[in-house]
Amino acid sequence: MIKIEEDWYKNYKKIAREKWGSEFTLWKAMFRGFIDMMREEAIKQGKENEPINPFSKMLLDVFIDVARARKKGKQIIMYPFNYGPELFHAMNLEPLMQEMFSVGLAPFHINEHYLDITNEIGYGDNPTLCNAQRPLIGSYIEKAAPIPDLLFFLSTPCNSLATTYQVFQHLTGVPTYTIDIPYWSHSPDSTFYDEKTLEYVIKQLKKLVVWLENQTHQKLDEEKFKQTMVWLNQARANVLEFNELLRAVPCPARSIEGFGNYLAMVLRGGTKAAVEATKWLRDNAASNVKNKIGGVPDEKIRIAWPYTHVFFDNELLPWLEENFNAVVIMDILGYYHVPPHDTSTIEKCFESLAKGTLDFSMIGTCRGPIEFYIDYVIRFVKDYKIDCVIMPMQFACKHAYAMARITSEEVRNQTGIPTMIFGCDPYDSREVSSEEIRGKIADFLTEIVL
Amino acid sequence: MSIIEKFIQAAPLPNSWIDNWKRDGKKVLGYFCTYIPDEIIYAADILPIRIRARQCSDTPVGDAYMSSTTCSFTRCCLEAADRKQLNFLDGIISCNSCDQIRRLYDNIRYKAPFPFHYFLSVPANVNEVTIEWYKHEVGKFKKQIEKEFKVKITDDKLGHAIQIYNESRRLLKKLYLLRQRETPHFTGTDVMNILLASVSIPKEYFNNLLSQQIEEAENNEGISDYRARIMVVGSLLDNPQYIKIIEDLGGLVVTDSLCFGTRSFWDLVEESHSPLDALAQRYLSKISCPRMTDGHLSRKQFILDLIKEFYVDGVIFQRMKFCPYWWGEIFMLRRELKELGVPFIDLEREYILGGIGQMKTRIQAFLEVLE
Ligand code: SF4
Ligand code: SF4
Repeated sequence: MIKIEEDWYKNYKKIAREKWGSEFTLWKAMFRGFIDMMREEAIKQGKENEPINPFSKMLLDVFIDVARARKKGKQIIMYPFNYGPELFHAMNLEPLMQEMFSVGLAPFHINEHYLDITNEIGYGDNPTLCNAQRPLIGSYIEKAAPIPDLLFFLSTPCNSLATTYQVFQHLTGVPTYTIDIPYWSHSPDSTFYDEKTLEYVIKQLKKLVVWLENQTHQKLDEEKFKQTMVWLNQARANVLEFNELLRAVPCPARSIEGFGNYLAMVLRGGTKAAVEATKWLRDNAASNVKNKIGGVPDEKIRIAWPYTHVFFDNELLPWLEENFNAVVIMDILGYYHVPPHDTSTIEKCFESLAKGTLDFSMIGTCRGPIEFYIDYVIRFVKDYKIDCVIMPMQFACKHAYAMARITSEEVRNQTGIPTMIFGCDPYDSREVSSEEIRGKIADFLTEIVL
Repeated sequence: MSIIEKFIQAAPLPNSWIDNWKRDGKKVLGYFCTYIPDEIIYAADILPIRIRARQCSDTPVGDAYMSSTTCSFTRCCLEAADRKQLNFLDGIISCNSCDQIRRLYDNIRYKAPFPFHYFLSVPANVNEVTIEWYKHEVGKFKKQIEKEFKVKITDDKLGHAIQIYNESRRLLKKLYLLRQRETPHFTGTDVMNILLASVSIPKEYFNNLLSQQIEEAENNEGISDYRARIMVVGSLLDNPQYIKIIEDLGGLVVTDSLCFGTRSFWDLVEESHSPLDALAQRYLSKISCPRMTDGHLSRKQFILDLIKEFYVDGVIFQRMKFCPYWWGEIFMLRRELKELGVPFIDLEREYILGGIGQMKTRIQAFLEVLE
């Protein structure tokens, strides 16, 4: 038997046989699917005799922790994909990132069923409301996902998210807290956020702490909070180094690895596990740079992908790598870019928390005027020696889709780099199929880029 | 010319009041949302106009730049700006009403810029921290208007603008109260024209006309030949034709919860407070629209109160296609009204009115249920 079987695979499979309760049906389906995917990947990479890597361990443990939290009576807080869970960790809550369902179930084509149920009860349609959240409503109707004890969301990045979270609250009655992320600090001296914006977010985060204290009947443990912020900032430093290493030619990482950093920060930000996962990704990239090894052999095309991945097609990036020697250097979530901050006092910890909230993947680029986004893409194109920009826009993502055309014109004007825009639904394979998407990308790469 | 005819003339953009205003060498600024305190513009002796694009017939530029899955109001506005149909404006003011509106602002700046653009960051929930933030935003807005148009907006001027605006709100409420009667004095179509005029001509003229209209109406007999009393609920409806379709079929629109309707004037600005404090407080905590993440229960209660006070028989939800906020809001309201036994229908629409035949059939069927 190969080592992987005796080591971690068997162990996780055993946990998957535990009774998690019917509300965790989908959660367990994802867990099982991920264990198998990771095993296959390890074998494909010739790493079947190695212990599980820190990233995969972190990810699989998220599933176990959430499922076991219910049994242990630990309160579960649901939150969106554009917010870090560090404060929740500090307050002994079990964070459950809602979009984990839509993103994690997409490659197994399970969202589709829940989208149909959501349609049947008359809640939205695809171009109006995003399918990153809509399956939540269908899974609630079928009781296939846990109802959290608490719910938290932000006013950004989109109306779709804020709407579906409200509808979920309306259906379930779960105590909910929201904070407002200012759209734009319209200060002539401000490039991104000014002191006023920061102060505003800090004040709201402090109010969130009070709300959480009331809901959980416990006080914020300042020492624990500080430790959480120290770990958070260590992980941020790792990710930042990783981002810098991507400038190397050839790029030292594969297309999906940046997204791994994002998952670490959005699922386990503020924990030791995230520090280890991000360190592992960074160390691999650093070693590849040192040895001049490319994540994609014989790299020919470097792509900026300033939007989300097409989650239902998890073979799309390997297809690009194998057929075009193309590496996706950045995607909008994977390019998590929050510098580490001072955590020496509680005040500084709140400041660091607020800065991370304002700069979080997608929030930083999409909460302001189009210039924030255009500058971000152009800076990336220049700094990372990008050959082309691919923007797979989600039909329902109004704030992003309505920026695509102008951004692509600006990128072309300012850098001369070709861009392509296409519409799709990353969560539902029935809207635009893998074949269609690959056909469009192949045409673009062969006819325009190469 | 009757007073209502004057309102009908004042409803489109531009109109002769705007022409006269400009002929005097004065500026006109367009804004997009009820969350923008237009008193500040008025206090600078600039005419604030709520932007619409009723002349829109197709949207090639809007589709290409905003994408064809954004709401057609925003696509039409981009189209109108691109075709220079809004060139009577000296600038535009926007805010983060919704994703479509905020990107419309960006697209206009790139595709069809105006001499002046300004954007306010309006919080999406209400508490002392967000009100404080909004006060700061409103203050910055005031300063920018002063700087750009070389005017001084004193507290006195602002206080005066608030009084005039409040007067307008009081008159509109009085007009609505006349619709509570068993024989309401106005059709919904007339009221829609009055509402449009309220955001298209100088407020003093408007208040004057509306006072006369109310006085005249009080002596008239009301309308009695209707089949059912209707409330219209939804986002921005600026098309009297839509209401007319309902009323031609025998429904009488007696009240609403609409962007151009009650939600724009129901709440007053506190005149005894400092003007900026009062504006921030009023604009953020007024009867909200679904952009406010914490306001559904109060919006629902507002609708239920109006249903009772205006003796509403049935509710028509008018939902703009591709609008996330209103789909969510109406989904929740449908469940709540059903539980309370209030009849309703949900009509999806585009900004450019189409599918009238189907709409008529559905309204007809609805009225039959109500009778
Ligand atoms: S993809 Fe766009 S619309 Fe969907 S949740 Fe993300 S930001 Fe919102
Ligand atoms: S109808 Fe909806 S999407 Fe359109 S402008 Fe209004 S709130 Fe925005």
